[in-house]
Amino acid sequence: MIASLRAELVKVLRPRVLIVTAVTTAVFAVGSAAIVLLSADPAGARPSDRGVTVASLSEAGGGTEVFTTAVSFAGTFLFVVFVGVVAVEFSRGTFRTMLLYQPRRLRLLAGKMSALLVFTAAVLAAAEALTWVVAKLLAPSQDVATGTWVSASALGDALADYGSVLFWVGGYALLGMTVAVLVRSVPIALAIGIAWAGPFEHLLQDAWNPAQRFFPGLLLEAFVAGGTSEVSASRAFVTATAYIVLGATIAATTFARRDITA
Amino acid sequence: MSGPAGNGRPAAVITNGLSKRYGRLLAVDALSLEVPAGVVAGFIGPNGAGKTTTMAMLLGLVDPTAGSGAVLGASLDEPASYLGRVGALIEAPAFWPGLSGLENLRVVATLGGHDASRIPELLELVGLGARGSDRFGRYSFGMKQRLGIAAALLGDPEQLVLDEPTNGLDPAGINEMRQFIRAVADGNRTVLVSSHILSELEQVCDWLIVIDEGSLLYQGPAEAFLGRVPVVLALAPEHLDDLDRLAALVRAGGHEPRQKDDELIVPVEEHDARAVAAALNKAANERGMVLAELHLRRPSLESQYLAAIGAEP
Repeated sequence: MIASLRAELVKVLRPRVLIVTAVTTAVFAVGSAAIVLLSADPAGARPSDRGVTVASLSEAGGGTEVFTTAVSFAGTFLFVVFVGVVAVEFSRGTFRTMLLYQPRRLRLLAGKMSALLVFTAAVLAAAEALTWVVAKLLAPSQDVATGTWVSASALGDALADYGSVLFWVGGYALLGMTVAVLVRSVPIALAIGIAWAGPFEHLLQDAWNPAQRFFPGLLLEAFVAGGTSEVSASRAFVTATAYIVLGATIAATTFARRDITA
Repeated sequence: MSGPAGNGRPAAVITNGLSKRYGRLLAVDALSLEVPAGVVAGFIGPNGAGKTTTMAMLLGLVDPTAGSGAVLGASLDEPASYLGRVGALIEAPAFWPGLSGLENLRVVATLGGHDASRIPELLELVGLGARGSDRFGRYSFGMKQRLGIAAALLGDPEQLVLDEPTNGLDPAGINEMRQFIRAVADGNRTVLVSSHILSELEQVCDWLIVIDEGSLLYQGPAEAFLGRVPVVLALAPEHLDDLDRLAALVRAGGHEPRQKDDELIVPVEEHDARAVAAALNKAANERGMVLAELHLRRPSLESQYLAAIGAEP
């Protein structure tokens, strides 16, 4: 598995990829911090599950709340990225090539996903830090107090927010991998991924609010938002974990047994 | 499982009743093969004969429906126990288009635990030394094929499995590939190579496996396969009217000619083919017949192969 992880990192840790990732992260940090701060409700309680207020941003965890709020809107995008990254290995025939060098299939898949998650974790950490810095610079213009942003409590909140986002991303990654392994075709996998994580679950949620308790994408969103009126964060965590474990098991079993003919 | 093969050498590849079924299609039908260690074995058969599926089963990519086998003495059930000693290129070379040739080799070397310091040397070997830093997506198909060969050689393997390695190569590239296969085999490697360009296999293979519709038609030394059809003399008189007289003359010499179009085909033993040709030429001349054609035809792999699969040569 370590060899598979290292091989995947050879692909990822190239100057071109790192530059694109760094630029994207910087744009995301600046853009999302600005949008979240500008859209913060100046008074009163939270306007919605994912909304933020000047009051909430002025608390110790306000600096990283900007990050979690902003990143939670990128769920569909991240899901689609992971679907594409795995499915393209089938459609290009590169899984066939990789299996000639690492025939232990579960180690290959686990190493690949681990590498992608390690890279994603590093990018998220950088994004969180950068978003915090940008938010701190912009906060005075929106009357957000940042006095408690640098404190032990703020650090605890930052770590908790980071863990939540990491779980959320990991969940989408493993569910995306499951779709990709089952479908193997990039366009079909992307179509399913976009339709499911985008319109399907959210339209269903609009029509039937309890959908948040049952559907994996909505559960992940509910968890990273710290719970909703329909489902608590802990229940969302447990149910989403069950989906993730089930999906990973299905993907692993399928990948281990299926002929590689492309 | 790695007992002696047909030529007395240990078998590098052995299969017993290996079969693969896809729904109603029996792609490989109870194939029992033995490839001796150290030979260049040509794997031939028409499109859809089951060559690639067989190779995929040997490489652990496809699970056999029935049967068993071993590669380098290790069971097909445990591809991880032998794939580190096998280099392979199967179907089209598949790499990451955004990575350079060098980076692609680094990825698979890391994955297989192979020495990455050999990469520049291997790129030189396959003629990509100057293009190693170019992106794979910009390579021609022939260059991709060469990179696939370099990747197959990364672990300095005991055995190579090459599926149509001359695909996409120009004539010079095909010639290089032929020399390359000979060169790597001289190092006591076993090479199992499939190709649809039979003349290429004829020049490099000392062992042949012929399959059709998933079943084995022949396996054994290439010479024995080529010797299954006799050498023939082809004769054609200057005037077609003389064809019957010429046939009678051949029969009088103790040979049985067969007419094909405007010529007579006379099976002969290779060791006295020149003497027979000279005698027939002289006899025809004495009877006032001029031979417009008189030449020796040795059986080609293609003619043998077509005869083996029941097609008209």
